[in-house]
Order: sequence, then C-alpha cells, then structure tokens
Amino acid sequence: MSFAALQSLLPQLILALGATAVLMFGAWIPKRRLWLTVGLLLALSAALVAGLMEAPLAEVGGMYATTLYARFCTVVWSLTIAATLLISFRYADLHRFGGGEYTSLLLFAAAGMSLLSAATSLIGLFLGLEAFTLVLYILIAFNRTDDRGAEAGLKYLVFGAVATGFLAFGIALIYAASGSFHFQEALAGIQIEGALRPIGLAGWAMLLVAVGFKISLVPFHLWTPDVYQGAPAPISGVLATAAKGAVLTAFLPLLTMLGESGAEIKNVLWLLAIITMLVGTFAALPQTNLKRMLAYSSVVHMGYLLIALLVGGSDGGQALLFYLVIYSFATFGAFGVVTSFATEHEELQEYEDLRGLGYLHPRRSIVLAAFMLSLAGIPPLAGFFAKFGLFQAALRNGYAGLAIIGVFASLVSVYYYLRPIIVLFMQERSAYQLHPGSKSEYLLLAGCFVAILALGIYPEPLLNLVVLVLP
Amino acid sequence: MIVPLEHLLILSTILFLLGLTCVLVRRNLIMILIGVEIMLNAVGLVLVGASAFWQQIDGQVMVLFLMAMTSAEVSISLAMVVYLQRRKNSIDIRSFDEMRG
Repeated sequence: MSFAALQSLLPQLILALGATAVLMFGAWIPKRRLWLTVGLLLALSAALVAGLMEAPLAEVGGMYATTLYARFCTVVWSLTIAATLLISFRYADLHRFGGGEYTSLLLFAAAGMSLLSAATSLIGLFLGLEAFTLVLYILIAFNRTDDRGAEAGLKYLVFGAVATGFLAFGIALIYAASGSFHFQEALAGIQIEGALRPIGLAGWAMLLVAVGFKISLVPFHLWTPDVYQGAPAPISGVLATAAKGAVLTAFLPLLTMLGESGAEIKNVLWLLAIITMLVGTFAALPQTNLKRMLAYSSVVHMGYLLIALLVGGSDGGQALLFYLVIYSFATFGAFGVVTSFATEHEELQEYEDLRGLGYLHPRRSIVLAAFMLSLAGIPPLAGFFAKFGLFQAALRNGYAGLAIIGVFASLVSVYYYLRPIIVLFMQERSAYQLHPGSKSEYLLLAGCFVAILALGIYPEPLLNLVVLVLP
Repeated sequence: MIVPLEHLLILSTILFLLGLTCVLVRRNLIMILIGVEIMLNAVGLVLVGASAFWQQIDGQVMVLFLMAMTSAEVSISLAMVVYLQRRKNSIDIRSFDEMRG
C-alpha cells in the first residue's frame, strides 16, 4: 500500500487505529470519562479530516472510493458516533460501562460504516458491513445486568448471522455470474444478453434479503422492535440512524448503476416498499412503549427511503440524502431524550411511566414532542420538507402509486406520533422527578432541536450540500 | 476446470439450504451457530469454484476475508453463548422471550 493510499483512507484509519489504541490503553487506565472524551475527539477529527482534506487517490485498492459522496457519508457517520459518545457520558456512569471498550467499539462501528458507504466493490461492501455488524452484536448486549439486553443481543445475533450468510452467498453468486467484485463489472453479469443472468439475478435476490434484514424491511423486520427495546438507548439510536443509513447510501450508487437491466430487482423493491410502509404503520398504531414505537416508525421511514432508492438518479439521491439526515436528527434526538430520562434501574419507555412528565421536565419533553412532530412531517419542522421533497421526486419519476401510499402512511402516522405527546402533557401525572440531566445531554438535544427547526425554515444549505456531493 | 460450474452451484446451494434449515429448526443456540457456519462454508465453495471458472485470484482472496470474518463472528457468538448461559442457565432460545408486542 502506497503512502497516497494511506493518506486517502486517513479518516477511516484515524477511527480504526484510534479504536485499537483506546481499547489497549483502556485496559491500563480505567477512567471512563477520559476515554469517552478521547473517543469524541477522535471521531470529530476523523470528520474534520474527511471534510477538509483532499484525497490524492480517487479509489483505493479497487475497493473504496474517496469521492465527495463517500467523504460526506464519512463525515455524517463520524458525527453520529461522536454524538452517541457525547450522550453516553451520564448513561455510561449509571450502568458502569467499561469506558475503553465502549468507546473503542463505537469508533470501530464508525470506521465500518464509513467504509461501507465508500465501497466500490462487493468485497469492500461485505467487509464494511460486517465490521460494524460484529461490533453491534456486542454493543446491544453491553449492559451486563440487564436480561432484556441479553435477549436483544441474542435476537440480533441470530438474525444478523443469517443475514450475513445471505449477503455472502449473494455476493458469491454475483461473482460466479460476472467474474468480478467491482461494482461496474459485477453489474455487467446481469445485463439482458448475459448467459449467466439467472445466477446473477439469484445473487441479487439474496443480496436484497440481506439488505432487508439490515434496514428492517417487512417481512424481515421481526427483530427490530425487540432489539431496539432491549438495547441501551444510545445504541438503539445508532441502530436506527447510522447503521441503516450506511447500508442505504452504499446501495444508492449500486442501484443507479443498474439502470435498465435491473427491472426485476426494481419490481421486488417496489413491492417491498409498499408492504414495508403499510405493515410498519399498522404495527406502530397499538404500541405503548416509546422505543418499540420508534422501532416501527423506523421501519415505516425505511419504506419511504426505499421509494427514493427506486427513483434513483440525482432526483432520488437528493431526496434520499436530505431525508436521511433529517430523519437521523429527529430519531437520534428521540433516543437521546430516552437516554436522558434513564435511571439506574430502567429506561423510562412505557407510556404509563411517562404520564405527566411534561410538567416535571418541560424542556426535554418539548424537545421530544418536536422530534415526534418532525417525524410525522408537520410543518414548519424539517420533516415536512424532507417528506415533501421525497414524494415530489416519486411523482415526477412515475411512482405515483408509491407516493400515494406514502402520503397515506404519513397521515396515519400522526396518530402514533401524537400519542406520546398527549401522554407527556395532557394526562394526569403519575411520573416522578428524574435526574435533571447532564450538560452534555442538553448540548446534544439542543443541537438536534435547533437543526430540526432551522432546516425546516431554511433548508437551502443542506439541499445545496446534498446536490454538491452527489456524483 | 474438471468439475462443471453447475454441479458446484447445485452442491453449494444444497449445503446452504441445509445450513438454513438447521438455523430455522434447531432451538439450541450452538446448533444454530453451526448452521450458520455451514451456510458460510457453502459460500466459500461457490467463491473457490467461481474463481477457478473465471481463472482469477479474486474469489480466493474473498474466501480468505470470509474465513477471517467468520472466525471473528464465531468468537463473538461463543462469548454470547457463555454470557447467556450465565444469565439464564440455558442456551435454548425459547427461554429468551420476555419482549412481546
């Protein structure tokens, strides 16, 4: 590997080597806050390097791109992990997490995610995806005194391992059909006139099953509510935002390259989008647990994002990235509020326990309400513009049916997003006084809140950025 | 290549389905993990076969990566087995069904 190649992968190297160093020195110096701070600085510096430094090579080893698009994704995932570390300060103290291990695993996850979004070959895609999936197996069961965490870890492990099998088999079949792992040549294997087209299509079907598991599309979503409920709240936040976003951003260029030859694949995705939106919506309605409701909400939002993936091209890409960023702010913020409400023995997540909390902790409750309204797509919050842009792109590109189902799903979604708000503010109080929350939690929640408000009123900067980074 | 690609694909598909059946039918976590191993080994077989078919080294490189990844996954999942055994004194996945709804 040449120096230029190393320099091109500098952000990912900072994350991976930093994670290794934190893991090693963490064994000698058991200071939790110190390592969380170090991890925060490492993630921020990776984001800074990815954002400011020009890469000397356009592609490293035929596996990873260093285009603006890849760099943008690296910045976003590094910042998400930095935010996770920031919100975990009090939470890690409460549950006596090993600071070194926790920080190091999160940094590894950031490295895996940024490699996944930068992948230009199926090997790179596989390694990036596995790098952060393996880390998440541990992080979900990180709270060793919690039975639910163990159960969530088990469920994610079994489903994740099967998904890995499907992903690897799909990649192997695509390779058998095309003779290459590099995206461009690998896609040639399923061109209309290709002799090995059936094998290539079978490979793609397997790949879609694996992606369905990872971003929890119906009917592969069964693990989602249980895992989100059992995992520590900051980790659920990562699972719902960055872990899914990284997979989506990796597949956006792949589907765009596919073009005309992937009509069958697009038909399957079209069907998946419809059942994901509908089943997710109806499963979310009866939920009485905030984390489970957010899990089904993330299923529905993945359905919307699938529409953008189908539209493809620059229209679909813009809608997808814009929507993904706005959705991540709101969802991560909501899990942040759950983190902030956590006590030593439990996380407040049942609506029963949240009743009347709005009067005891008005600031955090108002912020949570704003995130819910943004997810529901109520103007002037940013979620409205994201949805508007996405459905408009669908209509312009001949996916009117999907857009109508999407609008229907988001109308129904108002019901399940309003329920926690009503519970917080309009019902007789049964909640009790909680910890006032730490400064770092307030900083992050305020950041997400301001982003949701500001991008709702003035979305141009993010829109311009998204247009700039798309290839 | 002496063995035609079709035979190889048929064999590895059978192996993959056997592994998948094992995952779906067995209730003991260790047996489930063995099923996953069989699925991943079927993948290795396809990769080696396709590599020979196309007269390329890429597929074999991928098999090496796959083996490294699999061993990482196995060590994490066996750690999980030990942890679950300690918590509930059982690795039957039916005893982990607290969360519903």
